[in-house]
Amino acid sequence: MSLLLIALLPFLCIPLPLLAVHYGRTACAWVTALGPAIALALLLGSAPTVFGGETVTVAWSWLPVLGLELAFVLDGYSLLFAALILGIGLLIILYARYYLSESDPMGRFYAMLLAFMGAMLGIVLSNNLILMVIFWELTSISSFLLIGYWRHLAEARQGARMALTITGAGGLCLLAGVLLLGEIVGSYELTTVLDSGELIRAHPLYELTLVLILLGAFTKSAQVPFHFWLPHAMAAPTPVSAYLHSATMVKAGVFLLARLFPALAGSDLWFFLVSGVGLATLVFGAYGALFKDDLKGLLAYSTISHLGLITLLFGLGTPAGAVAGVFHIINHATFKASLFMSAGIIDHEAGTRDIRRLGGLRHKMPHTMWLATIAAASMAGVPLLNGFISKEMFFAEVVVESERLGAAGWLLPAVATLGGLLSAAYSIRFVHDVFFGDSRESLPKEPHEPPRYMRVPVEVLIGICVAVGVAPALVIGPVLDVAMAGVLRGEVPYYSLALWHGFKLPLFMSVIALGGGLLLYLWRDRAEALHERVFPAITGKGTFEAVLAGAVALSRGITRAFDNGSVQRNLAWLLTAAIVLGGYGLWTGGYSVGDAHQTPAPWAAFGIWAMLLAAMTALVVLHRNRLIALILVGVAGLLSAVTFIYISAPDLALTQLSVEVVSVILLLMALRLLPEHTPRESSAGRRLRDGALAVLGGGGVAAAAYAVMTQPFTTISDYHLVNSVPGGGGSNVVNVILVDFRGFDTFGEITVLGIAAACVFALLAQGASATESAHRESNHPLMLLVGSRVMLPMMVAVALYIFLRGHNLPGGGFIAGLVATVALVTQYMASGIHWSERRFTGSYFPVIGWGLLIAGATGVVSWLFGAPFLTSAYTYVDWPVLGHFEIASAMAFDLGVFLTVVGAVVLMLANLGKQPAHGDKEESSWSS
Amino acid sequence: MNFQMPDFSLALPELWVATMACVILVVDLFARGRESAPAFYLTQLTLLVGIWLAIDAQWGRDAVTFSGSYVADNLAVVLKVAMMGLGLLAFAYSRDYLRQRDLLKGEFYVLGLLGILGMMVMASAHSMLTMYLGLELLSLCQYALVAFNRDSRMGSEAAMKYFVLGALSSGLLLYGLSMVYGVTGSLDLGVIREAAAGVGAQNIMLAFGLTFVVVGVAFKFGAVPFHMWIPDVYQGAPTAVTLYIGTAPKVAAVALFMRLIGEGLAGLQEHWELMLVILAVGSLAVGNIFALVQTNMKRLLAYSTISHVGFLLLGFIAGTPEGYTAALFYAVSYSLMAAGAFGMVILLSRRGFEAEEVEDMKGLNDRHSGFAFIMLILMFSMTGVPGTVGFYAKWLVLKAVIDVDMVWLAVVAVIFAVIGAFYYLRVLKMVYFDRVEGGEALQAPAGLRVVLAGNGLAVLILGIFPDSLIAACAAAFGS
Repeated sequence: MSLLLIALLPFLCIPLPLLAVHYGRTACAWVTALGPAIALALLLGSAPTVFGGETVTVAWSWLPVLGLELAFVLDGYSLLFAALILGIGLLIILYARYYLSESDPMGRFYAMLLAFMGAMLGIVLSNNLILMVIFWELTSISSFLLIGYWRHLAEARQGARMALTITGAGGLCLLAGVLLLGEIVGSYELTTVLDSGELIRAHPLYELTLVLILLGAFTKSAQVPFHFWLPHAMAAPTPVSAYLHSATMVKAGVFLLARLFPALAGSDLWFFLVSGVGLATLVFGAYGALFKDDLKGLLAYSTISHLGLITLLFGLGTPAGAVAGVFHIINHATFKASLFMSAGIIDHEAGTRDIRRLGGLRHKMPHTMWLATIAAASMAGVPLLNGFISKEMFFAEVVVESERLGAAGWLLPAVATLGGLLSAAYSIRFVHDVFFGDSRESLPKEPHEPPRYMRVPVEVLIGICVAVGVAPALVIGPVLDVAMAGVLRGEVPYYSLALWHGFKLPLFMSVIALGGGLLLYLWRDRAEALHERVFPAITGKGTFEAVLAGAVALSRGITRAFDNGSVQRNLAWLLTAAIVLGGYGLWTGGYSVGDAHQTPAPWAAFGIWAMLLAAMTALVVLHRNRLIALILVGVAGLLSAVTFIYISAPDLALTQLSVEVVSVILLLMALRLLPEHTPRESSAGRRLRDGALAVLGGGGVAAAAYAVMTQPFTTISDYHLVNSVPGGGGSNVVNVILVDFRGFDTFGEITVLGIAAACVFALLAQGASATESAHRESNHPLMLLVGSRVMLPMMVAVALYIFLRGHNLPGGGFIAGLVATVALVTQYMASGIHWSERRFTGSYFPVIGWGLLIAGATGVVSWLFGAPFLTSAYTYVDWPVLGHFEIASAMAFDLGVFLTVVGAVVLMLANLGKQPAHGDKEESSWSS
Repeated sequence: MNFQMPDFSLALPELWVATMACVILVVDLFARGRESAPAFYLTQLTLLVGIWLAIDAQWGRDAVTFSGSYVADNLAVVLKVAMMGLGLLAFAYSRDYLRQRDLLKGEFYVLGLLGILGMMVMASAHSMLTMYLGLELLSLCQYALVAFNRDSRMGSEAAMKYFVLGALSSGLLLYGLSMVYGVTGSLDLGVIREAAAGVGAQNIMLAFGLTFVVVGVAFKFGAVPFHMWIPDVYQGAPTAVTLYIGTAPKVAAVALFMRLIGEGLAGLQEHWELMLVILAVGSLAVGNIFALVQTNMKRLLAYSTISHVGFLLLGFIAGTPEGYTAALFYAVSYSLMAAGAFGMVILLSRRGFEAEEVEDMKGLNDRHSGFAFIMLILMFSMTGVPGTVGFYAKWLVLKAVIDVDMVWLAVVAVIFAVIGAFYYLRVLKMVYFDRVEGGEALQAPAGLRVVLAGNGLAVLILGIFPDSLIAACAAAFGS
């Protein structure tokens, strides 16, 4: 339980500094320190258990479906890290109290620091890999906010974003790796995963898993080539740099390497990848640090270099290497945090951290000088300090492991020594250039010693450095033992923390490194000249930004090409994709033509096809003339009617014919409102594209249709033919389908027709004008005029006849409605709107309404007889003159259809006719 | 006549919503009052009662009615509750936005409700006909809603494009459905499932039909290469309508897929799997790459939607109950995030000013740190940062594809997620680090603030306790 409290205390305490800041800055610092202090006390309270060889674990179920548990583990290794995080964290809180200026919002700073601390504790204490990744990302986020704390600095914003991009992306890779790891092992529990090393390394997914996890670790620990975010993160306030970028966050990567050491290490891939990257980072970082003029920049590159060293040690894959790695993690955290804080003090008191502007500070800040010098000496690897001992161990390991590289075995120790040499050189530079040499006059502030309590955290850390350096076995030995038991999960190999190992190769390497470093520093002018000549300024940041800019440019280019808002282009893409996918479907299905019974094709059929083809070809060629296009479309309709007649379907033919006539008239009316010709709007290329798509799409559909229709199949026609008379009481199947089988459809359709008519009326009502002048009225051809008058009663009679006989013989309410419509419209066309309106004074809306009402009522009536909506009933009567007739309830329904069709279509036509024709307005404006 | 009275009680939620939509239309006609307040409250009441009805009448059932064309099961309930819940949210967000632009009319609610009715019909479709009916009802309402601001040229243009493309894709879907009908001889999805499994994809008509069904589904999702309508429509429509279109219909698309393909054509999985892989990878690539350079917030969210659809499809590709669970969870949680993101656009807009540019997010933290924090949660959730609901969504789908040994697909998805992180971070950078001259404190009606805060809170809480939502989604697939 206390373990959970340790992990969550920093999170729980986040609101405290925000509240306490109103009671003064010191109070704020104290209150902030409260949580971590309690956590540290609890942690140390459980330390004896851990030292006794036990591993404390707690777990609560969180998301069992996904194997996510709120599980924490406390073994030697996590104890060590948690103590580092909390201990250094407390020192940082104290330091930041004096570092932050009055104008900085302190509560926010401490709150974010606590959030970070909690996330970091979460990483090291998690016993569930997913939980660890969650905390991992939380550190990225909280560090993003901390780096960007000084928002007014452009570099702070940039640095924050870069750090988040790199570490966040790495975190996602880590997540993927962890998911794979869980997939391999079957559990996300850390302790289980660590015990499954053999299984993991033998699994086919091992390589991928390893690479993904390493990507996560390397980005976080700023390994080459992902190192560049760290120097730019230096825009953060120095307490943040000291805490995040030396002691904790960047250590998360190497923490993970050590944590997963038993699970992942030991393969060749691990050795080459991890030690290779570590080696490159070691040298590259040290080299970069040598030429940095910014104190924090120098420290950042030196951090990169030391992280490389630690990575290299783990990369060796041996238990002894791991011991040296963990030991160096502790040492680096102590001396580097104190160096950062010293740099912060210098910056704070002198107003700059540019090495070129600083110098001779030993007189003004003697105390700080001593502290910084000891820390830097530890970094350089001077004996009697902790840095020396871990560096010796490092050299010794490198020498032992160099055998693995065979002939190139000398390379590893040589490069390691080079790294040490560079490290010594920049350490000397840090101390000498700042504290020795001539005093400078033009500093922004008059430098003096910092406040007492700003030095205390540095002093504490330096004390540890010295204590470990002088008596390692006594001070750090037990801790290291128990930590290594945690890392290696078993036998800890023999290692020696003695100061003196005799005159062996590692000692010589140390001597060469220190001496060479001194020499290099003395010749630094020449080195710098060489540096500038040989290495042009290729920086990680430049590459990062170039990659980003490139990505954005590429994206912009692609976007411009594809996303230009043209609906034609979108349609073309959509159709292309459909054709490709359809082609794929045809191809996988295996195109084959069936051998179903086929209708014989006599000369008449060929004649109809020929006419149809001719009409359609003409349409394609002549479609810009709208009138001709309309006529040709009419031809196609008529040819369909002829086809129906040819295959003995007079009812269909009659329907088709009347629909065709009415729709052509409707279109003709609408044509009046449009210009005579369709303008040519698309370029030749686009027409070519569209043509090709049309041919491909049409061809594909035709091929598919042919294949489908030659398969043996049964149609539903038979059902209708058989059931038409017994079920619907009519032998005209089309009509029975319309009013009975599909009565509900028809009811819906006539409703839609009525709504459409109302819409047309509403839309046209605004533009409608009865401006038809008298001279136009007289323009109506006399023959038509006279003819139409004679025709009217005859057509109405025909309509009535068709209506009545409709149920059994070709005809019906729908066709009758259309015929009646044609009769009325003929009057309009022949005599003009005004003449007609004077005679048909009523509105057509009630006609539509009555039609719908009658049709609906017919349906409802069947409810009264307990049957579902629109069930039909029929009986036969003999009418005089007309003969044997059938009265079906469907007839009433048909009447509704008839009325609606007449009302709707005439309403539309009449209103279309009232519109001023295209060009009329211009004409009138000309004439007036 | 062999006619059976259908069990109307099973379809109670749909009947209720349909009736209420008509009632609201009439009520609004007579009690228009100030700003159609009765219509608003009635709509919200309808949806609340609808949610209750759906749970009450259908949870735990597995019954088919209306001659096999309507099914009531757990999947339907989860889908409907999500649809109505998101609708509730969308209407709540829209009110102030529409009021400020004099667009607050009862028709908005009626069209919205009918659209939701269409989605609900899709969720319960057990026949290709029912499915198509629901789909068209939804689509028609959406076309009209996009053009809701009739004076906006962009809106009309977007509606026109949407309509043309949508009609074409509906046609393609119908073409595919007719082929499937031709082979199986039935509209009933249960019968089709049996028949299709028996015939197999070696049948040319079935393979061909399947292709066009997939095309239709992909269009509804906005998966590449059938995504073109999304950016234009998202940008052109009034933000309130974009919010509506960008949320619940995603869940409806899941219904469309699950009913038609996941259940109906389950036997052809190896065939549609490959097509979905193409769609998913294309969506991930196009969505993320195109989003990088967008300067318009709504367009950015549109491309982000496309990339999220890519992720969602991964769950379908797995083709397992776990995969479907993951996809459903993804759709619901993504919709919740998208609602919040569009809500933020609404929050920053005011009369005569549309905060559509990404730049308009600048300095939000200075203007109101609470909403800046909500934006932080939303963007992190969209990125898939651990600890947010978006993370669990991504995790579930990735786990599903890894479980069926398609590790490469998971890797591709992660790579694009990493690219995607960049543009979400760009937004956050503007929110937190950029400053604008004269960025006055945020003015927004209290109602909108409450809704937005609630939405952010929901995303946050689901990020910590996603258990119940995952369990509900899993229950929809019988596990």
